[in-house]
Amino acid sequence: MGETSANRPSFTLPPEAKRLPAWRLWVPLLLQIGLIAAVPAPAVYTFMTGKTVVLQTAPVDPYDFLRGYYQVLSYDISASTNLQKLPGWQDLPKEKIYCSPGVVCPQNTNTVKAKTSFYVILEAPKAGTNPGRPQAWKPVRVSLENPGNLPANQIAIKGKYNGWQMEYGLETYYMPEDEREKVNQEISEAQRKQRQSFLVEVKVDKTGHAVPVSLWVRDRNYRF
Amino acid sequence: MISDKFRRELREQAKLWQAEGLIDTSFYQQLSERYQFNTLETASRNRFLSILISLGGILLGIGVITFVAANWQVWSREVRVALLLSLFVAVNAAGFYLWRIPPSRSQNSNLNLPITIGRNKLLGEGLLLLGSLILGANMALMAQMFHIGGSSYGLYLTWGIGVLGMAYSLRLTSLGVLSALLVGLGYWLAVLDWSSKVEFSWLEVLVRQMPIAASIMFVPLAYWCRSRAIFAIGAIAIIFSLQVSIVQGLNPTWGAAIFCALPPALLWGYDDAIWPKVHSRLFQPTARSLALLFLASLFYFLSFHWLWRDSPNPSPTESDWVLLANVAVLGGFTVFEWLRLGRLELRRPKQKALDLTTSAIGILILASAFIPLFHLNFTPIPQLATFLFNVLLFLLAIGLIREGLALGNRQIFWGGMVLITLQLISRVFEYNTGLLLKSFVFVLCGIGVIAAGLWFERHFAKIPAE
Repeated sequence: MGETSANRPSFTLPPEAKRLPAWRLWVPLLLQIGLIAAVPAPAVYTFMTGKTVVLQTAPVDPYDFLRGYYQVLSYDISASTNLQKLPGWQDLPKEKIYCSPGVVCPQNTNTVKAKTSFYVILEAPKAGTNPGRPQAWKPVRVSLENPGNLPANQIAIKGKYNGWQMEYGLETYYMPEDEREKVNQEISEAQRKQRQSFLVEVKVDKTGHAVPVSLWVRDRNYRF
Repeated sequence: MISDKFRRELREQAKLWQAEGLIDTSFYQQLSERYQFNTLETASRNRFLSILISLGGILLGIGVITFVAANWQVWSREVRVALLLSLFVAVNAAGFYLWRIPPSRSQNSNLNLPITIGRNKLLGEGLLLLGSLILGANMALMAQMFHIGGSSYGLYLTWGIGVLGMAYSLRLTSLGVLSALLVGLGYWLAVLDWSSKVEFSWLEVLVRQMPIAASIMFVPLAYWCRSRAIFAIGAIAIIFSLQVSIVQGLNPTWGAAIFCALPPALLWGYDDAIWPKVHSRLFQPTARSLALLFLASLFYFLSFHWLWRDSPNPSPTESDWVLLANVAVLGGFTVFEWLRLGRLELRRPKQKALDLTTSAIGILILASAFIPLFHLNFTPIPQLATFLFNVLLFLLAIGLIREGLALGNRQIFWGGMVLITLQLISRVFEYNTGLLLKSFVFVLCGIGVIAAGLWFERHFAKIPAE
């Protein structure tokens, strides 16, 4: 402290700094463009190569519908209660829930370890009876590994268990501001009458990565 | 360096002298040429312009980011992507080529006049800054268009790293500061985010190794741009992430001691001369002020008795080796710093001020490590620990006041005064004391501060200005 105040360095750069060569801009700029492109790259790949699958959404609380500019979606296959009946669930790595005495505990103290990634195998519905809208695919089993050589009517989708439900990367769907209100009203009305009438169309590629494509509400298709 | 203010006053005076006949016109002309009276207006206009341009750039950037929210749906996705990228490239390129135009200088200006920064340069820098903001907007828009619900911290970290590359390449302080702020914000969000993380990815590695990563990213950048602001923000990011690593990776007994002692030791021991090719002590004062700030806030918080009364029963957690690598690397660096300081002290002829200060700070740091260690490891000493930390706080404040007097430094002196006042008032409110005593303490503090201020200013007037 004592000696530093005496010789204060001056912070001026030489005035006629040499003209920087152009690559000093273009190299980092290309890297930045690479960063921008890296954001949607996996989604684009899945969109190009993936297979179309239709998923049944779970009922949503209309008050917790919107967060900012996107729809929060959850699916039948997000809830662990729907998955634990399937074959293959027993083979997943488990962890014991620690129960402190005096607190009501869930019946099943053996749950799947949080942060486990596994695959849910979906099967295409039989030939559709409803011409207007597609039917949801049904989960048939779960598997820790990506099963190869599935039959043509089946596909594996990769998810991650976060401790209370599964996440597939399909939980957000952005919508334009002016149409949001209308679509949301449609959805809540449709869900009040018949739960099955709100579906989401997604694309799943070979690795199990999925991207959302469009929403089916009753017989209408919304794609943004 | 002659200030604009002086030249302005000189011009007024010179005009007055000319009117009064003290000097003739030719002499006025000479003065005018020597001190460049004709550039005075442009200089102030440039300053005003620079403020306007930076303000405008920031507003524009915010406008672009809000554009994300407006969710424009008119064109197809491909058109939107092309439009975004071309805007991004155009703004950056325009900014760069404007910024590169060398400032014009008049022929006969002498060298100790302030250089008037060209308008082009300012506009260019504003545009480059805007380009960096557009980078973030672009990434967010891409995620939105493809319905990717990623974490927000990942966005900020990636954005910050993108800006960092540009800052290194162009040697621009403003971009460096922006980058440091973005990475800091990203790290802050990542620490707050307890949700399940995406599978093993480079982002997670970066977050876990942030102390080392931030050191590598920002300390060289601060030297490269010669910017204290970048160094300060970088140092804060390093210290904060280091403490998070200590809390998450160490068991509480030893962790508490290291948590208290390592950051101030690291900061106080920092010396620019460690690096080759750095000859001036650019950042040591900044690092030391941060160390003092850290110690002051640490002592202040630990001087409350309720912190010690319900000390947690340390539950043995398994140590996380990945996080411990951070502590080990920076701890090793700290030990190296202090060994070096010790060597320097032995070699130099006795110089009282610095010698005393560094050893005093060393003792304070050791004490702040030892007390929590003893409290958690051997036997709880809530009353004694509270008392000791109050003593330490008092000593630090007194030391600051003394140092401020010795150096004639107003900031240090007032820092010490504020600490003492804060301590007194906090203690009065913490313990159940009568109103009479409260009023007495307030009166005492008020009188003390006024008296100290008056006395210090008189004392300060005697010290010749440097």
